[in-house]
Amino acid sequence: MSITLAKGIKLQNDKTWSLDYKRTPSANLLAVASTDRKIKILNIKPNGTKLDDVLDGTVHRKAVRSVAWRPNTDINTVTLAAGSFDATVSIWTKDIVSHVDGDDDEEGGEEQDEESEMDLLAIIEGHENEVKCVAWSQDGMLLATCSRDKSVWIWETDEMGEEYECVSVLQEHSQDVKHVVWHPSMNLLASSSYDDTIRLWKEYDDDWECVAVLTGHEGTVWSSDFETSDNEQDIRLVSVSDDSTVRIWKYVEEDDENDGQQVWICQSTLPKVHWNQVYSVAWSPMSGMIATSGSDGTLAIYKETVKGSGSWEVVAQKQLCHGVYEVNIVKWIDVDGQELIATGGDDGSVNVWNFNI
Amino acid sequence: MSEYLNDNPDVLEVDELPSRKEDNNEHLFENFGSQEALQRKKLLLKIDHSPTSQVLHNIELLDKLLLLNSTPDLISDNENLLTESDSDLNDESIIGVGNESISEEYLTEPADPVDIQEIYDLTAHICDPEHPLTLGQLSIVNLPDIEVHDDGNPEHLAQVIIRITPTITHCSLATLIGLGIRVRLERALPPRFRITILLKKGTHNSEQQVNKQLNDKERVAAACENEQLLGVVSKMLQTCK
Repeated sequence: MSITLAKGIKLQNDKTWSLDYKRTPSANLLAVASTDRKIKILNIKPNGTKLDDVLDGTVHRKAVRSVAWRPNTDINTVTLAAGSFDATVSIWTKDIVSHVDGDDDEEGGEEQDEESEMDLLAIIEGHENEVKCVAWSQDGMLLATCSRDKSVWIWETDEMGEEYECVSVLQEHSQDVKHVVWHPSMNLLASSSYDDTIRLWKEYDDDWECVAVLTGHEGTVWSSDFETSDNEQDIRLVSVSDDSTVRIWKYVEEDDENDGQQVWICQSTLPKVHWNQVYSVAWSPMSGMIATSGSDGTLAIYKETVKGSGSWEVVAQKQLCHGVYEVNIVKWIDVDGQELIATGGDDGSVNVWNFNI
Repeated sequence: MSEYLNDNPDVLEVDELPSRKEDNNEHLFENFGSQEALQRKKLLLKIDHSPTSQVLHNIELLDKLLLLNSTPDLISDNENLLTESDSDLNDESIIGVGNESISEEYLTEPADPVDIQEIYDLTAHICDPEHPLTLGQLSIVNLPDIEVHDDGNPEHLAQVIIRITPTITHCSLATLIGLGIRVRLERALPPRFRITILLKKGTHNSEQQVNKQLNDKERVAAACENEQLLGVVSKMLQTCK
């Protein structure tokens, strides 16, 4: 299996921190967060990618660390959340044009789509210092944010995404919270921390409680991602760390002895590829494969030999995929039915990768 | 002076600090034909070993003369080329010849790895945040505590590991010193370098915490956007004198 560069786009000279991808009826939108404070929106096409929009660079006073598209909202609008080192979270939105006329009108439709820009809808304040990550729940009604202030905040919003009410502040982590991610079909949240642990959170009686603490990593946990699964008994999470390992965690059962607690085990540690910090991991909802990237510049793809077995093999790796720069983020993207990978690095580029099995 | 956390640190004189000059002296002993001449030279150096000494200069000049017809190790091809064109060619062609050869040279250039002395020179002259002395003078940065893994190829990754010795075991400025070193190295070294900054084992009470903080890219990036902190770091990066 090989990984080949489909498209490399240099957007600025400083770090690309985060990417998030969303398909709309008329475009494949990749949002890019970077040190230059200007959020960029790319439109990824099989035959050419272009820069669609550059959002107002004066909204955030420091680097934009994280971006996330809101899922499952009104199909005529797209909404983006962005977390910044300036301690705030911004919410952006735009109307999109849907094409009822089909192919004939495609050209015109695209132009219309280009014309509309994303507008600032809201600014959320609350964290004491750097916001590290933002993530929407699967129904788009909850937004989780985390910060160096050691807390995770859960915000509830309305259909329009204009008002945000904090419903819970989770303070059990003893250090910076680096990353938050929601389960793709359940209201289960995972937070990764500088305290070397991952915590899982669930709502009980209008309050959010920590239901499990995953310990084992020997360094900061930088990121995690859930496996896509509709079966409530079949929950797995993959995590990556400063300790250069990639681990799979599996839900076992409710804890009989401790009410509301869950039992999780570390099911496997993936074959070693990285020799330095691993910063990002993504579990593909399409193919079930896992991709990781990190300080050593390597992009790695892993496949489970038999689904659910916990036995994984490295099926492809691309070294120095952003030259000699670190790779902060990896995402699986579905471009008109074809699965590709997007990465962002310290070189200020976004690279889109093809791979074949 | 009780506002200092450490009132009375041990201080090295500037000319006691390790420098590349010693390497150059070693170099002078190479390509020396007669044993007798070598002995004489060593003796001369013993008499006056200071880098600025006239004796040393004379020896260097003598060596250059002696080596004129052999491979000139000490002069890079680039320098050679410029002096040649200087004398023979008019201005326009200097530019032309120069550019061509430089790009040619870039492709065939032999690997020029960064060594520990280079890392030392970049970090030892950073000013201590508390004393008007350098990190080298205070023995916070020491040559034997620097590790470099580099093959000189700009397309390969390279590593620098630097172990610092805070002046006292509870020094709260250790993080700031480490940050100063990281900022200096990140700015000065090519992007292929991965920099690890550690407190030397047993030199600090909260070694693990400081180490973790100094090597967290996100925290370092955020610190570099903190103007107040960056101001202090910039001051450290200016020379002490």
